[in-house]
Amino acid sequence: MGNPLRTAQDRRLPRIPEPCALVIFGVTGDLSRKKLIPAVYDLANRGLLPPGFVVVGFARADWGDGDFESLAYAAAKKGARTPWREDVWQRLSSQFQFVPGSFDDDADFDKLAETLDELRERNGIQGNTAFYFSIPPAAFPLVLNQLNRTGLADNAKLGGWRRVVVEKPFGNDLQTAVALNQLVDDVFNPADVYRIDHYLGKETVQNILALRFANSLFEPVWNSKYVDSVQITMAEDVGIGTRAAFYDASGAARDVLQNHLLQLLALVGMEEPTSFDPQEVRAEKLKVLKAISLPADIAAGSVRGQYLPGWVAGERAVGYLEEKNIPPDSTTETYVAVRLGIQNRRWAGVPFYVRVGKRMPRRVTEIAILFKKAPHLPFDPADVEMLGNNQLVIRVQPDEGVVLKFGSKVPGTAMEVRDIAMDFQYGEAFTESSPEAYERLVLDVLIGDRTLFPDAAEVEQSWRVIDPLEAAWAGTTPEPYRSGEWGPRASDEMLEREGRAWRRA
Amino acid sequence: MIGLWDTTGNEVVKALAAERRSAGGVASGLALTLIAVVEEKKVREAEAAATIAAAAHPCRVLIVVRSDLDGRSRLDAEIVVGGRLGPAEAVVMRMYGRLALHAESVVIPLLAPDVPVVSWWHEEPPESIANDFLGVVADRRITDSAQAPDPVAALRQRAADYAPGDTDLTWTRITLWRTLVAGAFDTTEAKVIGARIVAPEKDPTAWLMLGWLKSRLGVEPVLEHTDRAPRMHSVELQCENGDCVRVTREEGTALFSRTGQEDRYMPLPKRPVGDELAEELRRLDADQIYAEALGAMAGLSGLDHRPSMRVHVWKDPALAARAASTSDALAG
Repeated sequence: MGNPLRTAQDRRLPRIPEPCALVIFGVTGDLSRKKLIPAVYDLANRGLLPPGFVVVGFARADWGDGDFESLAYAAAKKGARTPWREDVWQRLSSQFQFVPGSFDDDADFDKLAETLDELRERNGIQGNTAFYFSIPPAAFPLVLNQLNRTGLADNAKLGGWRRVVVEKPFGNDLQTAVALNQLVDDVFNPADVYRIDHYLGKETVQNILALRFANSLFEPVWNSKYVDSVQITMAEDVGIGTRAAFYDASGAARDVLQNHLLQLLALVGMEEPTSFDPQEVRAEKLKVLKAISLPADIAAGSVRGQYLPGWVAGERAVGYLEEKNIPPDSTTETYVAVRLGIQNRRWAGVPFYVRVGKRMPRRVTEIAILFKKAPHLPFDPADVEMLGNNQLVIRVQPDEGVVLKFGSKVPGTAMEVRDIAMDFQYGEAFTESSPEAYERLVLDVLIGDRTLFPDAAEVEQSWRVIDPLEAAWAGTTPEPYRSGEWGPRASDEMLEREGRAWRRA
Repeated sequence: MIGLWDTTGNEVVKALAAERRSAGGVASGLALTLIAVVEEKKVREAEAAATIAAAAHPCRVLIVVRSDLDGRSRLDAEIVVGGRLGPAEAVVMRMYGRLALHAESVVIPLLAPDVPVVSWWHEEPPESIANDFLGVVADRRITDSAQAPDPVAALRQRAADYAPGDTDLTWTRITLWRTLVAGAFDTTEAKVIGARIVAPEKDPTAWLMLGWLKSRLGVEPVLEHTDRAPRMHSVELQCENGDCVRVTREEGTALFSRTGQEDRYMPLPKRPVGDELAEELRRLDADQIYAEALGAMAGLSGLDHRPSMRVHVWKDPALAARAASTSDALAG
């Protein structure tokens, strides 16, 4: 029958999840404090949580209930995007419960199950529970076994739904990713596993689909007949921060190329889905990921880099090898540029240059579509010297927006043509009040909308792109580049060899 | 900011273009033009609201103040690009004398090309929108019945005068209420057999709530008057199985109670006008659910099938006054 008070036409009424419980493992961790707890507060403040909603935090035992409350309070207040309202927090925190424990202690998990049962009973929640794994993958088997043992993951026993949220890294290569997927799928239903790639929660990333499939202007030129090349850039001005142990073991390619950048590439390259049903969108993304081709000679078609000391944005930055807890002879890359291709009719012959780096001059993520030059220019060659490729640039962050770059006559008596940029930008305030990626994704998990979450097949396919690269790089030393530069010189040379150049992002 | 005193429409158009040029690449992505019709004392309030709304929907704001219809025709304008009004670009126009009756002659050249036009009356709603060219030219029209001396009568008049694309801010004000009430029926399939709304007598939002429940659920809600609450106080739904769902406002929160479950509190803040306006600008097509609720409340049907384009009907207050005085004279 459905709810008579809701209709598709009534777009003012927001989507609100069914009464449910959210269980956060590793609730005292960095991610939970910086993103998750503030996201839950913002959802509550916007009135997007159901009347029956409880949060149970689970973490190591060295925290008391009171400590947890002040930690959550500070975290929510610091990270909240919406205005701070004490009464909203008071009500929300009265539904917060902290269960201290360790992942290998049966008694602690029995306590967790008890707490959960009691909270659900009291709040009229019929079984619905989301488990958020904000913990290192090494701890997954322990927690999954515990959930299995206590029956917390048992759909038949509890009724309602059970969903599990996992964060990257989704494994370290294809083999570990498959093992991890199997592990989670053993305990949970594969359709109930939500893998968070927070890039997909960003407004501009979702806007790629609107730009491509809601307009008739761009689709006709969105192919190898008109597109010369595509450049996808993700630059960070920061170094590795406090993630030394994790970062040195993985490097830039595994850290972000495997997930964020390949997802962006898939959204730009995919065919039109038959509908916006999650299945259909994932099917199209998977097809593109499967069609990705690596350079024939990986040594020539890719560049690895590692930052040296230098100056970034007016501040001195140490080199990668001088970072705390990094071995002085580390060959881990902090920069990768690779020339990928997509082997299908639409994209045959169009290079996709993808680069990521730390300690770049500024923080920017963008996708640039560079169009071919006009087949004939009826101008004096001197007049069009400054005319480059037409470009469509999707700026993902910061300054979310779209730029169209095309040639235009310089005002004056001579016919001189030069590039200008037409800049569409969401207002500053707009981006601030638009929901943070985590807020959107947490809400989607609770509602059960899987559109913005990559599935196991996509993750595994992405590793099939990364693994051969890693294999070819094994034993090589990354090219050094100075902090505050746009990567190693070899990366510029890689494009120069093909008569192209990186766009200055 | 540029101020122009005793000026012409052409000068305003030129000044806006000059101001945009000198301000640099501002607001190149205009989503709409917002015409705000206000009275002098509410100009600052309208500006503040438009600034909030423009943050979510980049727009050109044209604020029109009409007064002193008997005086000399005169136009004063103030042009603001960036700065005080945030990402919006705004022109505040004060029109006097006969010019005030032809405000559209100044406003139409200022509309951003080929983007939707929204008119918003931040004052008592016009009796008939067709009499105001600033409403006829708009794709969407937003009124606020709460600003009329008799808000409930004003809301009924909105139903009589309705055309698709009209909305009233009293409807926007109950979105949060409706969200809470609708949420109660997401998980159960209980059939609703009765409803009771407790509100002050002059509260138009209660009437829209009544219309909404009536049109969606086919029940005849009972409206109970109270003097104790300044605004709508509670909504209660009785289900066939004996369950009862009640939402009660307490300060900035709502008490949500349901048979067999613990009482719960949910946020129910009073939002600033700017937020309400931003919600309105989110959709620029007709709101059928509003039309149904408004029709059910006023006892009119087929609101949705009316033509969405209005034809301007000229009404001269001077002629009306003269006609009134002649008929008085004849009677006397």
